[in-house]
Amino acid sequence: MSALVVVVIALITYASRAAAVVLLPRPSARFEAVLSRIPAAIFASLATATLLGEGGALPAAPVLGAAAGALLATPARSLLLCLIGGAIGYAAGLFF
Amino acid sequence: MGVFGTLYGAAARGALGVPLTLASSVLVYSGALQFALVALLGAGTATLPLLLIALVLNLRHLVLGAALRSRFESGPIRRALLAFFLVDETFGFAIAAGNAAEPAAVGRATERTLLVAGLTLYVAWLLGTLVGVLGGGLTAVESVAGAIFPVLFIGLAALAATRRSHVVRALAAAGLTAAVAIWLPGLRMLAPVITGMLVALPGRER
Repeated sequence: MSALVVVVIALITYASRAAAVVLLPRPSARFEAVLSRIPAAIFASLATATLLGEGGALPAAPVLGAAAGALLATPARSLLLCLIGGAIGYAAGLFF
Repeated sequence: MGVFGTLYGAAARGALGVPLTLASSVLVYSGALQFALVALLGAGTATLPLLLIALVLNLRHLVLGAALRSRFESGPIRRALLAFFLVDETFGFAIAAGNAAEPAAVGRATERTLLVAGLTLYVAWLLGTLVGVLGGGLTAVESVAGAIFPVLFIGLAALAATRRSHVVRALAAAGLTAAVAIWLPGLRMLAPVITGMLVALPGRER
């Protein structure tokens, strides 16, 4: 990734923050509902994409254990607890 | 935030190099997006999907910004400056401060909290990134980088899923991405954008 791409991504990010705060009216309820659904889906999708290798190959046991540990912690809806769950799962996976 | 900055710095150093890792934290200041970009870069993703991910992940700022906009009282220049500090965490702090304030002071409390929390977390993120890229003792972090990203994204998905329907859509997106990884491996790292949008569009909120 080049410096130019970093700058473009920074501009996209700032523009998305400033657009509503400075320029846009409040989005419609329908559009707001659709926007609110996107992040969880993308993060879940990214988790899957980073977990699976080419052709859907499963990762090593510690990585699988880390993902399982994090998944078990998701009902708490705490990033810190998910990281702790992941660390415990990773350690457990080392024994397999 | 400092801890996550350290993890980011350690994980990004290999993919971006020290100068770009630091520059990304200074200029972008978005943990979720920066982690996503490093994960995608590690998988060899091209520039266009990176920009698409940035665009789509940042769409949520429209909702957060719109919710704050109705509370702000200052002019456009000050609002434009405050906008830089709009991240998920500072949004939560600012809304909470506005809710706790007297009706006449909601705008001032919201703006002050966004500024103070934003600056504090920004400095913590930058210092964390610096420690991460310079930390010679963080090789252990790099060795478990393969586990950090799935765990981090699972945690972020859990945080972002505020309704049952979000959970269902997230599971559907994960399933679709797994199917793409198996049957269309060339599109594996573009799948998050496509499936994220696909599952977000249909249906009503529950």
